[in-house]
Amino acid sequence: MNTALNLLHLLTPESILVETILVVLIAGLFKATAQKRNMLLSLTLIGGVTAGAMLIFQPHYGNIANGMAVLDPLTRFIKVVVLGLSLITAVYAVQSNIRQHFAEYLALILFTAIGMMLLAGTENLLMIFIALEMVSIPLYLLAGFLKQSSASAEASLKYFLVGGVSAAFLLFGISLIYGTTGATSLRDLAQSAPAVTRDPLFLAGLVMAIVGFGFKVAAVPFHLWAPDVYEGAPTSSAALIASGSKVAGFLILAKFLAIGLAGAAGSAASSQLQPGWLPLLAVIAAISIVVGNLAALSQSNVKRILAYSAIAQSGYMLLGLSATGGTALISVLFYVVVYALTALGAFGVVLHVEQRRGGSQLHHFEGLHQSAPGLALCMGVFMISLAGIPPLAGFFGKFYLFAGALGSASQGGNLGLLWVVAIAITFNAVSLYYYLIVLKHVFVTPATHPAEPVTRRNAATFVTGLLAVSVFAIGLYPGVLLDPLRAAAQAANRKPVTAAPVQPK
Amino acid sequence: MITLNDYLLVSGLLFALGFAGVLLRRNIIIIFMGLELMLNAANLSLVAFSRFGIVNGLPNYNGQMLVFFIITVAAAEVAVGLAIIVALYRARQTTNVEDLNTLKF
Repeated sequence: MNTALNLLHLLTPESILVETILVVLIAGLFKATAQKRNMLLSLTLIGGVTAGAMLIFQPHYGNIANGMAVLDPLTRFIKVVVLGLSLITAVYAVQSNIRQHFAEYLALILFTAIGMMLLAGTENLLMIFIALEMVSIPLYLLAGFLKQSSASAEASLKYFLVGGVSAAFLLFGISLIYGTTGATSLRDLAQSAPAVTRDPLFLAGLVMAIVGFGFKVAAVPFHLWAPDVYEGAPTSSAALIASGSKVAGFLILAKFLAIGLAGAAGSAASSQLQPGWLPLLAVIAAISIVVGNLAALSQSNVKRILAYSAIAQSGYMLLGLSATGGTALISVLFYVVVYALTALGAFGVVLHVEQRRGGSQLHHFEGLHQSAPGLALCMGVFMISLAGIPPLAGFFGKFYLFAGALGSASQGGNLGLLWVVAIAITFNAVSLYYYLIVLKHVFVTPATHPAEPVTRRNAATFVTGLLAVSVFAIGLYPGVLLDPLRAAAQAANRKPVTAAPVQPK
Repeated sequence: MITLNDYLLVSGLLFALGFAGVLLRRNIIIIFMGLELMLNAANLSLVAFSRFGIVNGLPNYNGQMLVFFIITVAAAEVAVGLAIIVALYRARQTTNVEDLNTLKF
């Protein structure tokens, strides 16, 4: 009985979100008026902010049913981040072209947020699978929410089919890992995994699980769904897929590998290659960086450019993951969070252009600096940050990532991962081309579209501006984000073993 | 006597069949069935591992518990998937993946 109460206590924020969903859905039943969308959004934000406040005031540590639901400072930090990203997406949704069933749309965003928070707060294979599905299934629906648009339906179906296959791969991998080790909790897995690292069944399970996660984070060669989904889905949905689900996906991939399978890591150092997940991850990272950056060069739709850029960025993050170690995880999380903020902001600008000019092709962005100078400036900040140019946040993200990868002692001395880092830096230079092409259309190319009235401020542009300011601020003072992250990670590591678990009997 | 390996063999076959169905068939409904087959292959192997993974004289029940959750999740996925297929059919009047060519490189 005690366990149930503890569980309820630990998952209070998620419970509040569920209640918010119910309120929003009921409020959505009333007759539609002009203010209704804003009213629904306020309800969502109130619920979300309450949940966030509850998160902050929760106890520091918790562990229920052998890692099913865990809470530590790092987990809490990521939970706050994904919740915030989801709420920003909800603000975007008000400005998007979703006219029907708006309450349901917000409810689905909140469902995704719950899934992501559960995903961030678990260390159990069973719960990882269920939470991952709780993220994916609402996202399929969000991607297909414009029912009249055949592009949206097609994007949704592609996302669904690929996501379903990846879930099946992940599940089969989990079943093999479970079968060979007998463990479902990542901590138990860490103890029994080293004994079976040469077992072909275990290795097959490991590879299949990584394939499944690879689909979720859109790494090459499992990336083909991403451009289509980003392009076809409503922009606010694409923003959530690009930001929130990426943060949660990377956190859980990092936990799965670093906690559960640390004993089966192998080595990707060029001098002493050993089988394990590290070499696999390093190769996937390298291919993602190359393919993502090259494919983005030939795109003419900004959403597709962002999609291929996301694939390349996934490669950088995987590179960070393949450099295991205490500081490496922090640098990956720093990078992921910065990327999520930047991508969300870029989608905010795309949303504005799409609503004003009817599309997201490059030529729709021409002359944006005249009609919306503020947003044009924001786009400049986001693109330059994605390209990794100082003094913006993206630069420090890449800097810490590459420094961590080069310095990781677990790679058999220094410079073991030099080959991947060299590829990454080379292709980062390539990526500059397509980011600057976008900026060229925003700032240089004269407008061929008829001039539109100067933009009125609204919540979405305000939030976009806020994101740009935060990317800029993190660039100037990386400590703003890095220090809390580092403190949280250290506190999570210091976790007193006796105080944590509340074991069910 | 049926051993663990027999179950795993069947499970692996089911998974391969399902994946082949997803890759080779062109009708979305059939692809969908392949997807379900893959999930059920995982279910089978989980139950087999659970039944044969004796710890302290008792089967390891975690796997069997997971199967119940997977069945539920798979049902939710079917509901969502069929809804998406219906939406697509209304927009396009087709259930053939080769007609899904609006979004292209």
